[in-house]
Amino acid sequence: MLLKLSLSSMRKMMKDYLVLLVGLVVSISIFYMFQTLAMNSDYVKANSMIRSIGIVFNVGAFLLAFITIFYIFYANSFLLALRRKELGMYMVLGAKKAKISQMLFGETLLMGIVSLLIGSLVGIALSSGIGQLLMSLLDISTEGYFPFYVPSLLMTWGFFLVLFLLTSTINAIRLARATELDLIRADQQNDQVKAKGIGTIVVAILGILLVTFGYYLLTHLRDYVAPGFIVGAVVTTIGTYLVFISLLPVFVQILKNNKKLNDRQLNAFTFAQLRFRVNNLTKILGTVAMLIALGVGAMAGGMAFQQNVELVASIGRGYDVTLQDPGHEDFQALATMQVLEQNEYRYKKDGKTIYYLKDDLLAHPPLISANTMESYSPENSLKRASQPLTEKAYIMYRDEDDKQQPKELPEEWSQAISREFMSSYKMERSHAVQVVDPSIYNQVKGSEHKVVLVKLDEFVKYKEQLKAMDARQKELLKPEYMDKDADNDEEFSLETKYSVYEQAYAFTSGTLFMGFFLGVAFLAMMASCLMFKILSGATRDKDRYSMLRKIGVRKEMLVGSIYKELFIVFIFPAVIGLLHVLIGMEMFSIILLEPYKNIWIPTSIFVVIYALYYLITVRLYRGIVLPKEA
Amino acid sequence: MSTAVLEVKDVEKVYGSKGESQSHALKGVSLTIEKGEFVGIMGPSGSGKTTLLNVISTLDRPSSGFIQIAGTNITQMKQNQLADFRSQKLGFIFQDFNLLENLSVYENIALPLSLQGVASKEIRAKVDKVAQTLGISEILQKYPVQISGGQKQRAAAARALVHEPAILLADEPTGALDSKNAKSLLETMTDLNEKHQVSIMMVTHDAFSASYCKRILFIQDGSLYTEIHRTGDRQQFFKQILDVLAELGASHDVR
Repeated sequence: MLLKLSLSSMRKMMKDYLVLLVGLVVSISIFYMFQTLAMNSDYVKANSMIRSIGIVFNVGAFLLAFITIFYIFYANSFLLALRRKELGMYMVLGAKKAKISQMLFGETLLMGIVSLLIGSLVGIALSSGIGQLLMSLLDISTEGYFPFYVPSLLMTWGFFLVLFLLTSTINAIRLARATELDLIRADQQNDQVKAKGIGTIVVAILGILLVTFGYYLLTHLRDYVAPGFIVGAVVTTIGTYLVFISLLPVFVQILKNNKKLNDRQLNAFTFAQLRFRVNNLTKILGTVAMLIALGVGAMAGGMAFQQNVELVASIGRGYDVTLQDPGHEDFQALATMQVLEQNEYRYKKDGKTIYYLKDDLLAHPPLISANTMESYSPENSLKRASQPLTEKAYIMYRDEDDKQQPKELPEEWSQAISREFMSSYKMERSHAVQVVDPSIYNQVKGSEHKVVLVKLDEFVKYKEQLKAMDARQKELLKPEYMDKDADNDEEFSLETKYSVYEQAYAFTSGTLFMGFFLGVAFLAMMASCLMFKILSGATRDKDRYSMLRKIGVRKEMLVGSIYKELFIVFIFPAVIGLLHVLIGMEMFSIILLEPYKNIWIPTSIFVVIYALYYLITVRLYRGIVLPKEA
Repeated sequence: MSTAVLEVKDVEKVYGSKGESQSHALKGVSLTIEKGEFVGIMGPSGSGKTTLLNVISTLDRPSSGFIQIAGTNITQMKQNQLADFRSQKLGFIFQDFNLLENLSVYENIALPLSLQGVASKEIRAKVDKVAQTLGISEILQKYPVQISGGQKQRAAAARALVHEPAILLADEPTGALDSKNAKSLLETMTDLNEKHQVSIMMVTHDAFSASYCKRILFIQDGSLYTEIHRTGDRQQFFKQILDVLAELGASHDVR
């Protein structure tokens, strides 16, 4: 019998359950996808590039799990609140509390299992679709990657089942503590109008001060580093809550105290509803603002990393290509590109030292850049190395104690050689570097080589050719510079612009990918939290709307009031959350060169998703509160 | 020109669609209320008095027939016209007050004026005036939860009257009040009717409340049964009402 009741009431509340279900499915499927990307062990082993991304996905899964816990608790307590009256009625009719608790427990668990089933399926589809897309984007072979991966599935099911069991138990306990009368009268508890005194204003000022202080810390991370980040994040979060607890009610009160505004049409009612909302929703609105900040921040962060890849790869560089002893194929490839500058430099190499020919250097002074990772400014333009080289010989990294050595190579030239001439740090580590006169150069016994530096019109246009060049260079240089005693499996990596670009690209694509999905998941959960909270109070508002209709308020006006009221409820956390993101992105300036590049993309994604939730909420709310017309 | 504020002609209300089991809530009711009258509608539960009030108050549409309030035919109006009509021409008092508990008494009373776009200053003057008439000037800034049942009903009456409606429709206004508060409200209504010429139509099943009216219409099974006029004092009228009710009960038993 209870099963029947339970099923029928679930059917009745299908819409509300559907909202919960969607939130859960999104969370579960993304959790699963992250797990497959992080856990597919053969695949992770086969791709060195993935190893670093794996960590990113584990962090993402952890964050997601953390937020999901809060979401499930919230959502379930709202659903319970919606059903209080019905459950109370069962009890009055003689159903035992234990039975009802049992029913509720079963329902929550059933809900969980259904969402797990759907979520896993969606997750597998997501991983086989989007996971593969990511890999093709990164140029990674999908060998060893299984979208259907049992350990990841077990992990997902284990984690969420524990979570659902916990919430079911807590729901049942909560019900057991309430009396029948509490439940039946759930609707009749009046909305208290709390007096707001001077204390609120103090709290509001404190909140604003805390947020400002947090912003200051986060935007000056260079000076405060890790402690600054932790204190900044905590202070901003607390400040956000304080602002919502105090400032928002004060704001609505100010609106209400404006007699002219308040007396216009339905404004008195709209503001009154709003005041009740902001007083009741303070905590959830604060949470929503933080979730928006996290979600959009994750998206914007990922995207900012992605946008900065080329900048990172070209930082401190004047040239796009470095070729040691280029072959026929290399010149053929170069012929297809638009070359802005191409210089050749000869060098000789014996067992211990690489000798560059000074005349070649002076004939074509290389471009150098004043930018480094630590201090970057877009205004720094390239210039040519111009320090005079008057001595017969110079050495890089001179040993001060060795009086036999030639003079230290001037800074500009040293920078050019180290950043542009060397294809691999192994080259620089295994040999000393000298710049010498032809008289010395000709005496050097050793093999003669040349290095070609090329500047292109646009680096990203030629990724394909550059990739092939890098592969040939690797083959060429590996036998020469690889440590003889090194493990044969050890990677021989280049530090050419393309190689740096490729690595940064892989890492940032992972970050972007994760940021995007985390963002979507956070937004979905956050918006449905807000939706639940508003809908759970809707039955209470029903009488008010029917009364207004009776005294002759046009339907459009009621609808307009609903739009206005919910709009203000939705807009506040959005504004504060976005403000957090816009200011918070500044902290990435430590590791990113231009953190604000293309920030409008994640912002618009957010606005679209959020607006959708706003419209859905208004729709559902209207359906509940507006009287049916005869 | 007729002085009738309300004219109801052959109004029928049928629930349920054709072919199904239909129930006739109103079977051709006709009545007229003149300006400045205080009319009671009485009848047992299920007699159709609430349906009658609903169709007169434009909350429900009659299946057939004709209703005219203050010279306007309301049976052909669209939803929005009806809403506007309600907010301009009608005043309501309900059994359960129906005040918005999240608005102060002042805001509750001001609402009908706000809806009509009256200027803030004028609203204040009108609310103050009607509050004075009803003796609730002291509690204007309070919220409904902070005042007594009697005060709530006075506030509701003030809201119903603030925009000077053509007719005040009261649905069991004393239903939720104790006898002292009920008496005081009824005296206020009489006062409004006599001194301020407010036309009132009150639906009630309570003979004591009804005895304050000038004229009472009895309905039974969806039709007008009889009507009585008050000629002497209230006590006498009260007895008269009880007699008709007894008659009604008897006819009920016969069937």
